[in-house]
Amino acid sequence: MADQTPTFKLVLVGDGGTGKTTFVKRHLTGEFEKKYIATLGVEVHPLSFTTNFGQIIFNTWDTAGQEKFGGLRDGYYINGQCGIIMFDLTSRITYKNVPNWHRDLVRVCENIPIVLCGNKVDIKERKVKPKAIDFHRKKSLQYYDISAKSNYNFEKPFLWLARKLAGHQDLEFVAAPALAPAEVAVDPALMEQYKEELNSAAQMPLPEEDDDL
Amino acid sequence: MSDNHDTVAVEEETEVHFDPIVKLEAVQVKTHEEEEDSIFQMRAKLFRFDKEANEWKERGTGEVKFLQHKESKKIRLLMRRDRTLKICANHYITSEMTLTPNIGSDRSWVWNVTADSSDECTGPQTLAIRFANADFAATFKKEFETAQKNNADLTVNAEEKETKDAEEKEETKEAEEKKEEKKEEEKKEESA
Repeated sequence: MADQTPTFKLVLVGDGGTGKTTFVKRHLTGEFEKKYIATLGVEVHPLSFTTNFGQIIFNTWDTAGQEKFGGLRDGYYINGQCGIIMFDLTSRITYKNVPNWHRDLVRVCENIPIVLCGNKVDIKERKVKPKAIDFHRKKSLQYYDISAKSNYNFEKPFLWLARKLAGHQDLEFVAAPALAPAEVAVDPALMEQYKEELNSAAQMPLPEEDDDL
Repeated sequence: MSDNHDTVAVEEETEVHFDPIVKLEAVQVKTHEEEEDSIFQMRAKLFRFDKEANEWKERGTGEVKFLQHKESKKIRLLMRRDRTLKICANHYITSEMTLTPNIGSDRSWVWNVTADSSDECTGPQTLAIRFANADFAATFKKEFETAQKNNADLTVNAEEKETKDAEEKEETKEAEEKKEEKKEEEKKEESA
């Protein structure tokens, strides 16, 4: 195994509210955050994947989409090795702004692989029709409809970028190593506390039931 | 969903070349499941309880598996998310765990884990798991409890073995001490 895990700086841009942070969180912890909390400045999250070419990490720079929360300084883009531009399929203005995000990104990062993502494909009232999406053709970007909610295509942007960065079209995600779990001695006082927590959690209904099980 | 071209874009691969920025060799990644047998498997959705926010948060959708180690016979629960195959639950099935129903759901269970060894969220967790229907949930519970018993018996057996080993050691020690004493006595007799 390599001494150092290959790590790529990924710059994630797009208008505010298109779902950039929700998309990152979905990959990080599995959760789907419904509340909208505007990102201030930038949050960097390492997203790791296990592939048939070993482990790789995308250091994901999740940036503020809203101009009033700082806009984007060149510093966010510097040394970016790949990019994702996100827009919201239910909001035409967010697609109209894609060229601006692209221009800013390639001004600092020339010739890097970029994926354009139309998010929220799960929502029935789609406003940006597939035929209307052609920006990626002019600029040689890869395009995916995605949904951070239903997980539709949610791994594809990372997979495409990883293949380009490694130069292997046959790169795939494989099962992450599942080491033997930790064994802990049981502390009765702690068990009592956990039991209480369990009882209150059991009284809290699980999120919506429209899952694909 | 994929048939309707008006609502979902057809996937196309953009023809574009970039010089790779890393040189990676194909590797055989160990899953660390090689020494285990999968004895149970079912599709499920997993949640963890976020105490601070006082709400359930999704951990992932995928196959939940019970894996039994070929030698130690110990059983663990392992769950990976679909497609990225990241680990969202990984813990031994121990007797302190109690599968508790979740309010308003007949196809879910809630339980505590003192040490979950999954990706990104490790340590103590309150987890919930949901299945397609109540029958599947009941099957899971039955299998879970069988695994609990299996693991508890292993611990008891191991403890018994330990006590037995300790007793045997004690016995040999006593026997040796007696021998020593005898020798001492013989020596005394000789010198006398």
